[in-house]
Amino acid sequence: MSYGILSKLKLAWTELDNDQKEQLGPYLTFTDYREIWAMGIFLLGATALLPLLIVTIIHYQLIQTSVNSEFILRTERLTSNTRRVVTFFLDERLDALRFTVNEIPYNDLTASDRLSEILSNLKLGFGGLTDLSVIDHKGTQLAYAGPFKLKGKDYSRQPWFIANQKKDSYVSPIFKGYRNVPHIIIAVKSVRSDGTWFILRATLEIKKLMQTLSSYKTGRYADLFLIDRSGVLQTPSEFYGDIYQKLPLETPKYSSRTQAVMTTDAQERHIIMGYAFISAKTTDTPFVLIVVKQKDGMMGVWRRMQANIKWFVGFCILTVIIVITIACTNIVNRLYHADKAKAETMALMEQSCQLAAIGQLSAGVAHEINNPLALISQTAGYIKDLFVIKEQYRNDEELIENIDSIMEAVDRCGRITSQLLGFSRKFDIKTQNVNLKETIFDVLVFHQKEAQYRNLNLSVDVPEDIPDIETDQGKLQQILMNLVNNAFQAIDDGCSLDIHATREGSDFVNIVISDNGCGMPEENLDKIFEPFFTTKARGEGTGLGLPITYGLVKKLNGSISVKSKENEGTTFIVTLPVRIQKEKDGNENSIGG
Amino acid sequence: MKILLVDDEQKFAMMLAKRLALRNIDVDYVYTGEEALQKAQNNRYDVALLDVKMPGIGGIELKGKLKETHPDIKIVFLTGHGSKKDFEAGISEGAEYLSKPLQIEELLELLQRLKP
Repeated sequence: MSYGILSKLKLAWTELDNDQKEQLGPYLTFTDYREIWAMGIFLLGATALLPLLIVTIIHYQLIQTSVNSEFILRTERLTSNTRRVVTFFLDERLDALRFTVNEIPYNDLTASDRLSEILSNLKLGFGGLTDLSVIDHKGTQLAYAGPFKLKGKDYSRQPWFIANQKKDSYVSPIFKGYRNVPHIIIAVKSVRSDGTWFILRATLEIKKLMQTLSSYKTGRYADLFLIDRSGVLQTPSEFYGDIYQKLPLETPKYSSRTQAVMTTDAQERHIIMGYAFISAKTTDTPFVLIVVKQKDGMMGVWRRMQANIKWFVGFCILTVIIVITIACTNIVNRLYHADKAKAETMALMEQSCQLAAIGQLSAGVAHEINNPLALISQTAGYIKDLFVIKEQYRNDEELIENIDSIMEAVDRCGRITSQLLGFSRKFDIKTQNVNLKETIFDVLVFHQKEAQYRNLNLSVDVPEDIPDIETDQGKLQQILMNLVNNAFQAIDDGCSLDIHATREGSDFVNIVISDNGCGMPEENLDKIFEPFFTTKARGEGTGLGLPITYGLVKKLNGSISVKSKENEGTTFIVTLPVRIQKEKDGNENSIGG
Repeated sequence: MKILLVDDEQKFAMMLAKRLALRNIDVDYVYTGEEALQKAQNNRYDVALLDVKMPGIGGIELKGKLKETHPDIKIVFLTGHGSKKDFEAGISEGAEYLSKPLQIEELLELLQRLKP
């Protein structure tokens, strides 16, 4: 898919074939457009998306925190409300017993008929009472009203009796007792005027309590039940088993307040557990109210919101990346086209400079050859004169001398043309071992006459330790030709031009061309390698000599620098690698292989 | 008619001088500008044939110096450098121009024209 988009975006720089790369490479300002393009997309994308992602993460965490605390708050509220109901349930029944012992005379209470009547009234008022009994301080049941025959039963060793001796009221854990029916015992203690005491005890069915609890249960993901303080279930739990089973959750530590915590149960479900220790007005109870809410079930809204946020962020990221990619491609394409146009102009100028060099060569050759030709012409003419005018040619030494003179002039022409052929042939050859000294002299041949006429002092110093360098001789000649021409134009008659070579480590050679001519102001030094920059009069300089020289040096994997002081002279330093091949391996495109 | 020939190409100067002498033209030849100025101090010349590019005093400078002492002298430049620039420089100052290699007939014709 990414390839499809890329192909639609048209990366213009990939259209460059190897020939064009070789031709334009040295003149392109940027070499790796793919890198610029990728870097542009990355930096712009990072700048645009990073704030978005940071804000989204912060917002996400904020919402999550508030959702969590909302869940805890809701669970706490439900726990608290249910606790009030359970407490009220127990208080109401304890108060009824307390009222009964306070208001009904002891003798009435111990009379079974009267006690049965009281039980019927209490059942009518509150419901859920199974039986009622009066037990004296020795633990003997004095009176009993209810479905069983328990009168005279001894409770002195029963845990509830022992516990109730010390307290005014008592609420038992849920137990099955003699009848194997889960129930709770509640009891109140009353002291008589003779100092002895008795207990009024009632058995409550828990059905009514369970009904009350389940009426507070909200939704599929909530569970509401009672445990005792050792963690045993006192009412059935939907999630964690039946009555009397051990709750597979950590039993909460005592707290007088309602609490809610986030935790994980044995099935690794995230839950919010609310708990409250139930206390009646006059006594503690063994009950702990537990409210469990499964977090996943409550998260529906939050999950939908999360999905919306993800979609939104994903859409934003995609849009930003698409827009940035299109913009970057467009900008880099434009940059590339501008750079390519510049490079094409430079390459064209290099060609025209080559033509100019050939033109200059021709002019030099014409001058050099014209002199011997003039001599040939005059000598031959003189011989003809001798024949025509003087008529004395036999055994004439002057004649022989003049013919020698002709031969010598022809030889001179031959030498010039062979040098010329040698020079032009070198343009065709690419990489080869080049003797620097010979190359410099080859170039200077065309300047020697001018130097003589202008009384210029030319000196060349290439020490013996300078090795042959592997490079393109034609291009090196063109570089030297351009720099020497430049120097000749900069110096007045009688000045001097010095060309010398030095080694730069084992891999590089410096060619230093310095003159003591007019020099350049410092502000121009930065611009001289820019195309079309010239200090010469209009029409005299093209402003292309040095930029082309620069391009050629780059093509040979070298570098060029300049130092100049006004009225003191200029020095150009060309640094070239001894072995162009080494560079070529790593940078095949710029050389063109 | 007396002619002064100045050219640093010594054999050329000698040959041309001999050819002119064969045609009964009185010609002195020297190889440098300095020698030419010395000759001019002691002789009166009608025409000076000057090479343009010479070491030391070049043809153009020599022309100026000769004109100072011999205001009537006619100047003809001879050059192997077929450059328009040199030609224009010569013509503009009222000088003639012949390019090397030159035909003797051309030179004779020009000298005829310059004859006082």
